[in-house]
Amino acid sequence: MPFDRAFRLSSLLLAASAFGGLVLAQAVPSWLAALTATILSLSVLAAMEISFFAEFPARITVPARLWNVLLIGAFLFFLVDLAAISGDLLPAGIHFLTLLLSLKLLTLHQRVDYRHLFAISLMAILASAALTTEIWYVPIFLLYLLTTVWTLLLYHLCDVDLGASPPARSSSRQLAHEDQPRKIRANFFWLTNGIAVLAFGLTVAIFFLLPRIGAGMWQKTRGDALRTTGFSERVDLGTIGAIKQDPQLVMRVELPESQQSRRDRLYLRGVAYDRYDGRSWNTGSPRRRNQGSTEDGIFSIIPLGSRLSGTVSAPIMQDILLEPLDTAVLFSVPVAVTVTGEFPGVQTDNMGAIFLPFVSSARTRYSVTSREPLLLPAEQTAQRMDYPRGIQDRYLQLPELSSQVADLSHAVTRDAATPYERIMAVHQHLLQSYRYSLDVETASSAHPIEDFLFTRKTGYCEHYATAMVLMLRTIGIPARLVTGFLATEWNEFGGYFTVRQRDAHAWVEVFFPRSGWITFDPTPATGAGALRSRWEALSRFSESLRLHWDRVFIRYSVRDQFAMVHGVRETGDAARDRVRRWLTKMSVSVASVLQTLAGNVRGITLGYLHLFMGLAVLGTALVVLLVRDRIGLWMATCLPSSRKHPAIAQLYQRMLKVLEGQGVRKPPSATPREFVHEVERCWQAAGPLVSDITACYCRGRFGGKRLSSEELTRVTEQITRLRRLTRTGR
Amino acid sequence: MKTLGDFAHVLRTRVLTFVTRRSIRLTSEGVRFLLFTIGIGIAAINTGNNLFYLLLALMLSLVVVSGLLSEQCVRKLTFHRHVPDLIMANDPAMVSLSVTNRNRWFHGYSLRLFDVGGGQDLDRGLFIPYLEARRSVLLSYPLLATKRGRITLEHLRAETLFPFGLFLKRALYPAETTVLVGPPIKPLSLRFVEDLLSQGQGHPLPRRGHGTQLYNLRLYRPGDDSRSIHWMTTARTAQLIVRETEIEDQRRVTVVLSLLAPDHLDDLFERTVTFTASLLWQLSQRQYPLRLIVGADDSGMGVGSDHLLHMMKALAICRRRSPNGKDSRASRARWGDLGHHESGYIVALCPWSNGGPQEHPFVADRLLEGTQLEELTRAF
Repeated sequence: MPFDRAFRLSSLLLAASAFGGLVLAQAVPSWLAALTATILSLSVLAAMEISFFAEFPARITVPARLWNVLLIGAFLFFLVDLAAISGDLLPAGIHFLTLLLSLKLLTLHQRVDYRHLFAISLMAILASAALTTEIWYVPIFLLYLLTTVWTLLLYHLCDVDLGASPPARSSSRQLAHEDQPRKIRANFFWLTNGIAVLAFGLTVAIFFLLPRIGAGMWQKTRGDALRTTGFSERVDLGTIGAIKQDPQLVMRVELPESQQSRRDRLYLRGVAYDRYDGRSWNTGSPRRRNQGSTEDGIFSIIPLGSRLSGTVSAPIMQDILLEPLDTAVLFSVPVAVTVTGEFPGVQTDNMGAIFLPFVSSARTRYSVTSREPLLLPAEQTAQRMDYPRGIQDRYLQLPELSSQVADLSHAVTRDAATPYERIMAVHQHLLQSYRYSLDVETASSAHPIEDFLFTRKTGYCEHYATAMVLMLRTIGIPARLVTGFLATEWNEFGGYFTVRQRDAHAWVEVFFPRSGWITFDPTPATGAGALRSRWEALSRFSESLRLHWDRVFIRYSVRDQFAMVHGVRETGDAARDRVRRWLTKMSVSVASVLQTLAGNVRGITLGYLHLFMGLAVLGTALVVLLVRDRIGLWMATCLPSSRKHPAIAQLYQRMLKVLEGQGVRKPPSATPREFVHEVERCWQAAGPLVSDITACYCRGRFGGKRLSSEELTRVTEQITRLRRLTRTGR
Repeated sequence: MKTLGDFAHVLRTRVLTFVTRRSIRLTSEGVRFLLFTIGIGIAAINTGNNLFYLLLALMLSLVVVSGLLSEQCVRKLTFHRHVPDLIMANDPAMVSLSVTNRNRWFHGYSLRLFDVGGGQDLDRGLFIPYLEARRSVLLSYPLLATKRGRITLEHLRAETLFPFGLFLKRALYPAETTVLVGPPIKPLSLRFVEDLLSQGQGHPLPRRGHGTQLYNLRLYRPGDDSRSIHWMTTARTAQLIVRETEIEDQRRVTVVLSLLAPDHLDDLFERTVTFTASLLWQLSQRQYPLRLIVGADDSGMGVGSDHLLHMMKALAICRRRSPNGKDSRASRARWGDLGHHESGYIVALCPWSNGGPQEHPFVADRLLEGTQLEELTRAF
């Protein structure tokens, strides 16, 4: 492909990649996207010189005045867009940019037009970077990088007359390779792609090394938070059901390698509710308490009513990347002990829910250390439990319920001897006697729990959990409802749970005086996700890529830079220690060997020492003998010769020795040229080499001029090649 | 022995060479590129958006790649400049330049080459779009000198805009070459030359050659034409004697150029040198044995192109001397050695004289002085 066509094509692909970024960021209205895409496609077809479209740009012969009018029109549209339609600078600017791109594509005639196109493309890719953090930006960016390298390279190399190339320059240049067509050939193709790869590598390196300084003078947050339900102070029964079909991503929860055995399911606690009025749950007290942080930015969470001493599991570490939600709740495995993240503060309520001070409009990354309360064996068998007055007052509250609920509770727990057995009886009853279904309309029901327990006998997590809480309270066991997420979608590629809206869940926490709040989930498993197809595996793989992209690039911060520097320093220290240990070990080994040798020498005679030294000298001599030719060549060519004969004479002598080794001896009476003829006659393969060396020899020895270092190097190489030749037919 | 001034000059040249060995300049495209880069950098710092940092890194990496590749393009180049022994002023001469890329792997692209003389880049229009690794290319270009003398081309500068045209990378390579520029050859008045030749007929110099008149008898040597044996003498002396003949045309001319001229006659002196060169060329075309005496430099009598070249070289480097200068006496020294027997017809060219008898210690057959020379060289 000729340079000029490749240049046009790469320029258009550059614009296409930038425009693709805007389209994928959903920043361009469909009519404008369709218009620009059409013009772009026609331009690409024209650049490829497909017959019908080849004349497309040339046919656009609109006077310059009309273009100016169009540009002014586009600018007026931008003003109207800014004032009335979009009302925001960024979208209005993007629309204006897209219009400019379309207009410029129609007027690509001169080099200056291409420069304008590059500038518009750069602004477009910048705008799409401002609008997204999604992983689709990666292929767009890579395509942009590749086309940028191609375009800039061809822009420089292409001397095609685009209407504005200066005549003086072209006439003043003399092409040394007139016969070389200016076309894309294999070596140029690979060179350009190699440059692109090099640029990519450098880009990544520079990206990680650039100091992250955030001034934020005109910083503007953007993006719509994900609407979720079930985590406000008051939750109507049935609200979670509305989002149980929504596959939108809520968060990713990464577990350390050592804790990935918990990959079957993970309860992520959000908010707990203590009061139920028959149709909705609410938290008794809206008061929140600010938690203090240490110097390292670690917030200690001390939930009221939780007992963590002596009856807790091993620490469970979680790294959570929370999508922007319309709630300030931070989710974690119960019970959170510490929270670490880049936020100014953390608040907790008196039932252990954790909140940010504000609703975040951006993704939130935080780490949590949790310790799950474990039920003490003594409380499993205890005949009765003494609950504190405050717990009883708060967590035994019941709304106006049908007496059927209490009757059912007593009936279910009739055979249970201990409180724990009663709890388990209710739990089992709910698990076994009811059918899980999302197709339940509870908004119009006046008594949704009674309907669930006695009429429909179908429901979902809220119904199960509420029913369990109420049934336990009717038999005097304190319990509360907890909403959160039940993570079951384990991503084996990234080693984390993917949590979606549909994973929203409600379960029960039951109070034990010594063990604290213990989690019970009366909702039966739905069987979702039992079958996983290859498509799902691919989806999980892409999901893990997204997480890596987000973690490595989008969330990369000054803290990561410090961690990287720290890691490099630690690696360096470790390597240094390893080398030091190895040296110490080696020195000890050498010392012991020397000691042994010295002992032997002392023990026997000096003869061994002499033998050893003799062998060393012999070995050195052998090595010198083997490489003597190379040493000689090096000395002849590289060292300033103080001998009478110049270096070429020494090389010529060396050539004669090589030939002698092959049985071709130079008679003393033969001149160098006569000897060349003799060699060509009796050893044809060596003829050209000997001829060339002899020519250099004659020129250097008798021509009165010193040969250049390049010529001497060439002669040296030819002697080496001569040595490798083997004479046949001797 | 080098003086302190020479040492300082060498030192200055070395320092300048070292300082200017490599340089890099921004092109207009590069300025725009850097402005965009700065803009993106400000946006990245302001927003903390890592994708802006990614774009910034891309722009910076292209800058780094530009630097690396342009350096590879202009390094490890070897130049050999081949110039004629003598070129004539105002007459374009071809100079060939062999460029070798000694890079093992990297090809050279978009290389522009400049002669560097007197600290200035001289654009010869040399451009190599592509030079493979470990390959050479031979370029040639016309060299036009406007003045006689020596032209020293000290260095060669290679520059490239490769790969992106953002930066102009330049590298200076030592490639000192001295070109000798002779005076221009101008057409002379045919009447003047014919007149000169007719006057010179009376100054023959017997020389061996093809002719009919006896020049010499000598012993026969192997290879001599047997037809030239002089049998009578051979019979008389009982030895083989051959007969040598004398060449028919025996005219010879000695041109004497006086270097003495005051400053205000510098232009006339240069024109006189041009006249001398033109005259010698005209006479040489007619196979005249010629001798040139320029100041203290005597070419001796001779014929042929080599002899003409020798004389032209003498004219290329001769320098005007002030009549009051200390070396004015030395420039007259050899004039006293002139003798008619060897010199033939003597033409003396004196752009300046004060009219005194001591000015010309020889008898010139034809003396051309200021006014005459002014008249003859007016058209130059």
